Amino acid sequence: MKYVIIGNGVAGVTAAETIRQHDASGDISMISDETFPPYCRPMISNFLEGAVPSEKLPIRGKDFYDKNRITPVLGSRAAFLDPDSCMVTTKDGRQLPYDRLLIACGADPRRLDAGGTELENIFFMRNINQVRQMIDALPQVKNALVLGGGLVGFKAAYSLLRRGVSVTMLIRSGYPLSMQVDETAGRMIREVLQSHGLTVRTGVSVEAFEGSGRVEKALMSDGNRTACDMAVIGKGVFPAHGFVPVDRIKTDAGILVDENMHTSASGIYAAGDVAEYFDLSRQKHWVNAIWPEAVSQGRVAGMNMAGHRISYRGSLSRNVIRMFDTDVMCAGRVSERDVDESCRTATAFDPRRNTYRKLVFEGNILVGFVMVNNVEQGGVLTSLVTSRMPVDISDRYLLDPGFNFSRFMRL
Amino acid sequence: MKQVIVHPERCVGCMQCMTACASAHSKTGRLFSAVSESPLPKPRVHVGAGMHNHGFPNRCRHCDPAPCRMACLPGAIYRQTDTNTVMIDPDVCINCASCAMACPYGVIRYHADPLAPAGKIIAVKCDNCIARQHKGLIPACAEACKTGALTFEESDAAMKKKTDRVAKSVTAETALPEQAPGFALLNTVKKAITEINLCR
Repeated sequence: MKYVIIGNGVAGVTAAETIRQHDASGDISMISDETFPPYCRPMISNFLEGAVPSEKLPIRGKDFYDKNRITPVLGSRAAFLDPDSCMVTTKDGRQLPYDRLLIACGADPRRLDAGGTELENIFFMRNINQVRQMIDALPQVKNALVLGGGLVGFKAAYSLLRRGVSVTMLIRSGYPLSMQVDETAGRMIREVLQSHGLTVRTGVSVEAFEGSGRVEKALMSDGNRTACDMAVIGKGVFPAHGFVPVDRIKTDAGILVDENMHTSASGIYAAGDVAEYFDLSRQKHWVNAIWPEAVSQGRVAGMNMAGHRISYRGSLSRNVIRMFDTDVMCAGRVSERDVDESCRTATAFDPRRNTYRKLVFEGNILVGFVMVNNVEQGGVLTSLVTSRMPVDISDRYLLDPGFNFSRFMRL
Repeated sequence: MKQVIVHPERCVGCMQCMTACASAHSKTGRLFSAVSESPLPKPRVHVGAGMHNHGFPNRCRHCDPAPCRMACLPGAIYRQTDTNTVMIDPDVCINCASCAMACPYGVIRYHADPLAPAGKIIAVKCDNCIARQHKGLIPACAEACKTGALTFEESDAAMKKKTDRVAKSVTAETALPEQAPGFALLNTVKKAITEINLCR
């Protein structure tokens, strides 16, 4: 059996290991344009912040490929996929035949529609090389501009603040992480960042970057110019399935997969940021481009590719963030765009403890929550969202700071 | 393989397991000196109050596959197969709380720990008292438990005992053996008190 895995992110790595556990003799090849050993992508912001050295980023040892008897095909992206002849061709012309193919090539950052983006010190923050370049540039950086208040924008801003850089964040909504959290939590996050020196500007965008060689200032949509010697573009990501023949493999925002992580084309699977699967809280197909999803989906894909039919119950958007002394956890439907009149919400805000908690229900099913501080019991709530178990205990108990698993025990 | 088995119906909420756990995971390993240590050792088993104030010793289940392990960003969480224990490597942990989001039982805490690098805040949870087991001792919580709510047994045998009990309970002729004499009464009283308080 010939297995080909496109992508050496955590979905691909987990799938490869799972396949090897169940198939000792099959040939496994992994294609990736990144030559660095498999590393933890979410941790690149900790690396930028200076909290984690680059040696700690790899998720597997240097012997990962040898140990699992995987043929690494590195330094080039998959460029062409022919489901008829079961062949993947890389950009540099290497051809790999497969019996089972996993597409786990992740997502690419969205480009910015503005002039001057080719100037130096304008970055995306998606891979380790970009962060390395950012760190190299840091000594000359006093003012940074972060475009976008999503997870990448937020993490870039936080890490740069920790590095002592003065950061201005441009966001459309009034608070960061508006796709992840509700307004109250978003404002709490904004206040924490502002108290550590962040400047937030809403309602303006960058028309063009200016500078000689390096970026020096940004021309804003209101006609003003802002000095900046670094810019980070965090306008979201989109699944990197450009090479996939969409007439043969069903795609929406991502590549559509069934409960076995199988695509609409025979023998081809997808997992991770590139895949689109049923979202448990939204009850529809959705791309949840997050690390824990990639691990779970990679495992399910690997099992099925190796011939064990196991099902994945569904994906869930979720995040946990620690910034300065404040922790935020969220899952499922809780942002303004995700909560509608069919939902019932319950909230608790404790100014003395500086905690906030919001639960979103549909009927008696918990479909989302956000918690600011006191997040240790968040996993219990996450599991309520994923299991869709009817909640028959009072909101009061779920919102209580002393809430714990025992509340669900019946004697 | 021997495991700590939880019998929630026997827990009276005395929290002696918590004290024993904290002192077992202190630098000195003795309660008398542990109380003056810095950082103050903290328990890894958590007795929480249930809906009717009955106690429940909430402890890591060492799940397989472990959701915390799959969610761990730096790969600090691993399984020690000889004792079937999910462990956290204090050197590798980056305190990102990804495991807090993954643990369905909420048993992971985040603090400086006597057994971690000095001053480093890390994720901390039950380690099945591996260090004690290597010395031939049983886990501290099970040793401390006076009511039999925490026992250290062969997991297969414990499972069979429970299965037999369920099997017996479905036969009408068999008188159901009292599995926790006295405890049922205590829990009924606790329940009555909470209900009275709710009515007030």
